[in-house]
Amino acid sequence: MTAMKRIMWCGVIAFMLNGSAVSASPPAKLALQGGRIIPVVGEDIAVGTILIENGKIAAIGKDVEIPYDAMVVDVSGQVLFPGMVDVHSSRGLDIRNEPLPVTPFLDVYDAFDPSKLYFEDALRDGVTSIHVIVANNCVIGGLSRVVHPIGITPDEMTQDVHTSLKLSIAPKRRSDRMVQMATLRETFLELSDYLEDLAETKYEESLEDKDEKIDVGPDEAIERGRKLIRSDDYDDKHANLVKLTRGKLGAFVYCETGGDVSRAIKLAKDNGFFDRMTFVLGAACYKAAAEIKASKRPVVLGPELIYRERNAITGEMTETFVPEVFADARIKFSLLPNPNGSLGERYLNYQAARCVRNGVTRKKALSSITINPAKALGMKDRIGSLEVGKIANIVVFSGDPLDFNSWVDQVYVNGIRAYSRETDVRLNRLFGDETSETQSEDDKDKIDEEVPAKDAVEKAKSAAPVGDKIDAETKGTDESKQGS
Amino acid sequence: MSTKLFRHRGYGWHVLLALLNCVMLPGFEAIADKGEASEVIVYADHIYIGNGQTVDDGAVLIRNGEIVAVGTDVKSAKGATVVRIKDASVTPGLIDANAAIESSDLMTRPLGRRSPRAVLHDLFCPRHVDKISVGCCGSRCSRSLQHANGEACRECGFPNAAPPLEVGNRSWPTDVENSSEVIPHTRVLDAINLRSPDFARLAKGGVTTVFAAPDSSAVIGSRGAILRTAGPMKERVVRAEDAVKATMGTEPSWRGGRNQMPWRSRVTFLTRRPTTRMGVAWIFRKAFYDSILHDKGKELGGADTPPRASLGALHQILAGEIPLRIQARQQHDILTACRLAKEFGLSFILEEGTESHKCLDEIQAQKVPVIFGPLYIDAPGSRRFSTEVGGSLLHTFQRLLEHGVPTALTANELRDEDGLARQAMYALKMGVSFNEVLRAVTQTPSRLLRIDKEVGTLEKGKRGDLIVWQGRPFDADARPVVVMSGGRIVVDKRPS
Repeated sequence: MTAMKRIMWCGVIAFMLNGSAVSASPPAKLALQGGRIIPVVGEDIAVGTILIENGKIAAIGKDVEIPYDAMVVDVSGQVLFPGMVDVHSSRGLDIRNEPLPVTPFLDVYDAFDPSKLYFEDALRDGVTSIHVIVANNCVIGGLSRVVHPIGITPDEMTQDVHTSLKLSIAPKRRSDRMVQMATLRETFLELSDYLEDLAETKYEESLEDKDEKIDVGPDEAIERGRKLIRSDDYDDKHANLVKLTRGKLGAFVYCETGGDVSRAIKLAKDNGFFDRMTFVLGAACYKAAAEIKASKRPVVLGPELIYRERNAITGEMTETFVPEVFADARIKFSLLPNPNGSLGERYLNYQAARCVRNGVTRKKALSSITINPAKALGMKDRIGSLEVGKIANIVVFSGDPLDFNSWVDQVYVNGIRAYSRETDVRLNRLFGDETSETQSEDDKDKIDEEVPAKDAVEKAKSAAPVGDKIDAETKGTDESKQGS
Repeated sequence: MSTKLFRHRGYGWHVLLALLNCVMLPGFEAIADKGEASEVIVYADHIYIGNGQTVDDGAVLIRNGEIVAVGTDVKSAKGATVVRIKDASVTPGLIDANAAIESSDLMTRPLGRRSPRAVLHDLFCPRHVDKISVGCCGSRCSRSLQHANGEACRECGFPNAAPPLEVGNRSWPTDVENSSEVIPHTRVLDAINLRSPDFARLAKGGVTTVFAAPDSSAVIGSRGAILRTAGPMKERVVRAEDAVKATMGTEPSWRGGRNQMPWRSRVTFLTRRPTTRMGVAWIFRKAFYDSILHDKGKELGGADTPPRASLGALHQILAGEIPLRIQARQQHDILTACRLAKEFGLSFILEEGTESHKCLDEIQAQKVPVIFGPLYIDAPGSRRFSTEVGGSLLHTFQRLLEHGVPTALTANELRDEDGLARQAMYALKMGVSFNEVLRAVTQTPSRLLRIDKEVGTLEKGKRGDLIVWQGRPFDADARPVVVMSGGRIVVDKRPS
């Protein structure tokens, strides 16, 4: 095994151990002291302290009294920011979409892979909540789930189950819009047929039990039968759709163009899930901004933020920066990272910085990666900002979150330190540590001595809060160390 | 006739005005034009000169396209154009020392008129097969084969929406020249459309001067040109014939239409030479060796003899009259370039230098300047298809600077979110100081291109190429608001 491979393995082991630390009980009290606090909701605090008790934020402010038994972490000179929320991600899945068009019976629980490097990357980039959901190439996709990027089993990672169903108004590949809409309508028609049949059968069964014969017309029988249906009577194929139409599930509806928006609204209103609908919008949807605003539903903007259009006659190309249009229309929106874009676009905070560069206010840009996605997930009272009572998902940045030069120094998930840049082996490999294959054989041996697997394991353990080392470890965040 | 017209009162006025206009308008225009170009003053909170110095709360005064004063107590004459925005910083216009210009612009191609034959031609013509993927719609979207001709592409929206030009979907920046492996007698300027929208994109990103790079399909390629990205057409060409680009590594053996038969067979000796790195080095060696023989009046012969037309340019390269650039990415290719240069006593500029962190000492010892870039983890654009990019690390640029290698930063074919300003931002994140990053996109490239008497810094006597940024230059939330070329405002995003 080469040195590099060994180091990678250390990273994986360290990462996994980090994850397993979550299941350990969180420290009773932890204080992050002396940092600049950007709570997103409410005013910034120039120098302040956050007190975490049992994984939740217990106090936040300039002069927080620190209990004698709290573990104190000095974050002076650093910035405390809420853990960011990736509100629509299929990167944790092994395959993003099924070939079948209508699959409401599927659950991402069965497909997402905790060992994917994507989750490690997300943690490294300061994302603490990820909404794992199937991608846009579907008619009705499966159930989604909100996870945090630590843990070695899907259960350990789960923050919130069965959040939403995915629907797409834009045609599935090799299909067209008419077929897409027909399939959607047919699905819901079939559902109502199924419910009627089920009700009738139920009524008949209830009469059989009593040895009676049907004495009413079919409509009346269906009406009576409906009352007899219990929640476990639905088959898998329909159970989630029933929940959806009764407002018990969220719906993430993908629209590709402006025209899809009105179709989405109509479909949602016809089938009773309008109040729980969230738009997932392609860049071209900015043209339906007025309609989207009137609907008052949460908006998730696709990873591509610039829409380019060519005038067919003059050949002139126009570029529209989509979030600016939404901000001007006073629509709250959430942003997504763009893994296929440039080096910067894969960071959520950089996407927000791009918004500021293009004229969106700082406040709106910061909300779009924290509290707005939390609202879209219906978790605004738990995540998305630094407020008393919320889950302690905190990112410690080395500088302003909108500054590309800032690094994520530490990440706390549920009040537990889940990531520390100093112990991040893979980051060092990518961003300029000496430990590359350029070393001569002697050096290679040296590295092996320096970072044996055992050591990495211990380091990972120390990342768990049970230890006094934290205070000493968290210092030393100067950038000069980074570069070399 | 005139009396008849003048008899009517209304007409008289019109005729008079028309006559007046004829006389006066050209005059007015001339004055207005002169006034615009004559004097411009730019106020800023920070002026980064480009040589490491900074002036705070100062101004730059440009007269007739030339910088006449930079400092805190600069005063302009009455009637000068004033550029003053909030929170402004000024830097010199950026210089990309290795920009690949999109020479053929598919955006302007007529739509809906493509015959099936034309489509087939694009797909199978040997001249076109090396374009990454020309779909049946004529767009270069990678998925474009999935839809019928005339129907909008579902992936990129073409033709309703413009196909995304950025990362991953770019074509080869210049069409590949196949006539020979040794073509220093050809000029890239002859392949470039000066009205290509690519220049506007560059200017928008703050790049005012570029070295338009030839393609990398030939072992000894064409001569690049130094161009301005904006301003009047007659001023666009700074130098029509500049450095010759040679290429080490795999690209001369797999790029180029003739390397692949129409059915996309593998490269064999039947289709083209060279097929290996050995072949590439041999053709390089043979070309210069033949040039020396020719100088001695000896007959040339054998396989791989360079074309007669190229001998003059080869001689000039050997004499040091034409600068030589060598593109090499992997460590062994960089070392090959160093070795070959030593053999013929050539000095050269290293392009790309992806793995130069592995041979810093050699680069330093041979005093090779590097035009490095772009920075990436996963190769974007055309590099996705290269086998030479696996060793890319983000800190290489910083290591080169640390070792005192004169290094310029380039974005090559990337624009917008991966453009030169963003490359500088990435470099800042890697721990390079602001002044060094700024120098790597202004002063250093101007020196490597030998245009440092004219551009590269904001000093008296230099051309008025500058960028006014809102916020700190290269920051994620700062953008070029005003870009000036020769004292003319060529990009203006000030809120009106």
